[in-house]
Amino acid sequence: MTTNTQPDSSGSETTADQAFAQQNPHIDADPSLFGPGSQFHRLMNDPRWALAMVRATVLEAAHPQIGAALIDNSTFVAHPWRRLHNTFLSLQRMSDADDHVRQREAARLNRLHARLNGIGAHNQPYDAMDPQVRAWVVATLFESAVTMGRLGGQPLEQSAMERLYAEFQGYLAALGDKAGHLPPTLREFWQYYDRVVQEELENTEALRIILYKLFDHLPAPAVLEGMPTIWATGRALAGPVIGAITVASLPEPFRRRAGLPEIPGAQTLMQSAYLGVGLARFLPEGWIRADALASLLSLSPESDDPRARTISAVRDGIKRAGALLRLITPLPAQPDPADTTETQRSAEDFFHAVLDQTGDGYLDWPDLAAMAREISGRLDLEEPQETRLYNAYADWWKELQAALDSDGDGRICAEEFAAAVPALAGPALIKVADVLFDVTDADGNQSIDADEYRALFRTGFRRDMAATGSMYSRGEFVKDFLSFMSGRQRSTTYDPLLTQA
Amino acid sequence: MQVEKDVSDSVSSPAQADSRRPVGQGQRRGIPRHVACVMDGNGRWAAQRSLPRTSGHRAAETTVIDVIEAARSAGVEWLSLYAFSTENWRRPSDEVDFLMHLVRRVVRKHAPLLHARGVRCRFLGVSDSKIPAPLAQDFDDLTTLTGANRGMTLTVAFDHGGRGDIVEAARSLIRQGVPADAVTEESFAARLPFPDTPDVDLVIRTSGEQRISNFMLWQVAYAEWVFTPVLWPDFRAAHFVECVHTYQQRDRRFGGVAPAVNGVPRP
Repeated sequence: MTTNTQPDSSGSETTADQAFAQQNPHIDADPSLFGPGSQFHRLMNDPRWALAMVRATVLEAAHPQIGAALIDNSTFVAHPWRRLHNTFLSLQRMSDADDHVRQREAARLNRLHARLNGIGAHNQPYDAMDPQVRAWVVATLFESAVTMGRLGGQPLEQSAMERLYAEFQGYLAALGDKAGHLPPTLREFWQYYDRVVQEELENTEALRIILYKLFDHLPAPAVLEGMPTIWATGRALAGPVIGAITVASLPEPFRRRAGLPEIPGAQTLMQSAYLGVGLARFLPEGWIRADALASLLSLSPESDDPRARTISAVRDGIKRAGALLRLITPLPAQPDPADTTETQRSAEDFFHAVLDQTGDGYLDWPDLAAMAREISGRLDLEEPQETRLYNAYADWWKELQAALDSDGDGRICAEEFAAAVPALAGPALIKVADVLFDVTDADGNQSIDADEYRALFRTGFRRDMAATGSMYSRGEFVKDFLSFMSGRQRSTTYDPLLTQA
Repeated sequence: MQVEKDVSDSVSSPAQADSRRPVGQGQRRGIPRHVACVMDGNGRWAAQRSLPRTSGHRAAETTVIDVIEAARSAGVEWLSLYAFSTENWRRPSDEVDFLMHLVRRVVRKHAPLLHARGVRCRFLGVSDSKIPAPLAQDFDDLTTLTGANRGMTLTVAFDHGGRGDIVEAARSLIRQGVPADAVTEESFAARLPFPDTPDVDLVIRTSGEQRISNFMLWQVAYAEWVFTPVLWPDFRAAHFVECVHTYQQRDRRFGGVAPAVNGVPRP
């Protein structure tokens, strides 16, 4: 597999944007296309949107190119909650009323997509910058939003649908893609959509992983960590249900072609789910918001966010319930509880928890790229810092590959890693630590203050650090980072950043 | 050393009135705040009946529950049980295995009851990797489950050694680089496991043995000891009350100085 680690930034996006704006003056000329009054905004506040997003993701994964890209690069198997949160955040920014916020996010997405290309398994080339591909992603989001209304018993009116379509076209335009890849009118859109569903979608590996693996093995969101019993019980019930609901909501021609099972009653179940979740809209405003829920799920329990404290209280209650449940259940056949209290973890644990971000059992460039992506997303980096960070990670990857890939297959497996752990802290890793310090130190005063620290770790300084003076020096930062990455020391700050689901 | 205060004075002094339970009639010494039991005599109990040693341990379960209940209703705030010492690992391995299994069963069986009675349970020691993981998990679960309870605190010393605790506290002082002059009894006590535990007032040792056996060495400094010839499996609530009564008859002097009681009163 080859991957492009040195993308050149696409300078043509502004011109494409302008050309599109000229073609479609009504889109860019209307400042109220996004913002609080938009269809898009309404969508984000609809609890059914979460179901629709899952459906859209499945339809995206069924596209051969996107499927290949997901398999190679995506962290959604190992870190689904983090990814969900990032996706919501991105959609929210892309529909912000402020033009500047939208442009910034579009530029970030473009940089991110430009790094996603290569040749996947079965020699399927993929390129996340391919306009056809991006058009299909937007098409699935739009179509899922429309379908969500239909299934929930509240179909959108024609005018609302037109407006929503215009908004999604605007979304694509903001990314700089030409409009031609998404048909100009709604009528033509349906022809386009049906054609892709009928002719291009396949039963890809990514699709199967989402439907059959992800839902059954969904890792617990961070806030529920430490309660594996509760989570496993709930998931055993919810996983197959979500799977069945999603399958039943897919277009019929595609289900037939992909050979997806028809489960008796699944249609009814699916419609009741959309209807039931839709009813949650009548709860008082702000009670249920898809984006709030997504950020809640990716919240680390150690965070000093005020919501985390409430959750901690609930967690304690659930923990006690879990403890009682375990104590009163008849003795099981010798379960082996993972020991999470130790500060050292085995090389194998570290490999799976930290390094293998895509969860495919191998360490490869996309794993390290995912780390760089997560960090630059959190710090909201712009060029040239983002490229500096990626380059540092790329150099580290070369170092790792040279040192650890003993069987020469281009990637590193857990055994190769475990055999050579001491060699891990090479100069390139120190360089990563250095660059990470530089980009975290937003004001460039050579120390990380509480705000910069929070941007990276989403929590305040630890108490002992606050006591010694509220700054984090380069030396300490590099030392902590290296002891986490090489000494395999557990860390209350790095763990949520890199290991959380 | 010559200033010998009357004990009933020191017990009912205002400073202690709130942390110690008021005396029944206001006359003599009150209920001990912290009672510890060294559960001795299971093996002899079994031998007297020509039963295997293990059945002695099994019979001990009833006593444990009886004593917990007796202590709770007598108004004891802290109860510590010495279940298994670090030295006990030297016993024959099937006996150790049996004990581990028994403890696990007892913990699971009585967890809901202990929780319902508002008893806060915790385990002192429990550091050895020889303790089977499922048992450690059960200890954890019981601690979590009852952690917020505000009734009696039950500390089960499991795999505990008093000297080991003291050495650990010393290590932690040295690690933190505390200067020698700054080490006081209070700062030392604060580094013992469960530093909120008050000093032991009364230790009951069954089966006529009269030894300390490395049990909570620091905390028993001023404890009264009651040695009863009754074997632990025969020990019942009535015996417990009797021991408390004996304690109440005694004249505690604390070497003539007011006692420094470890720990803080719980809210």
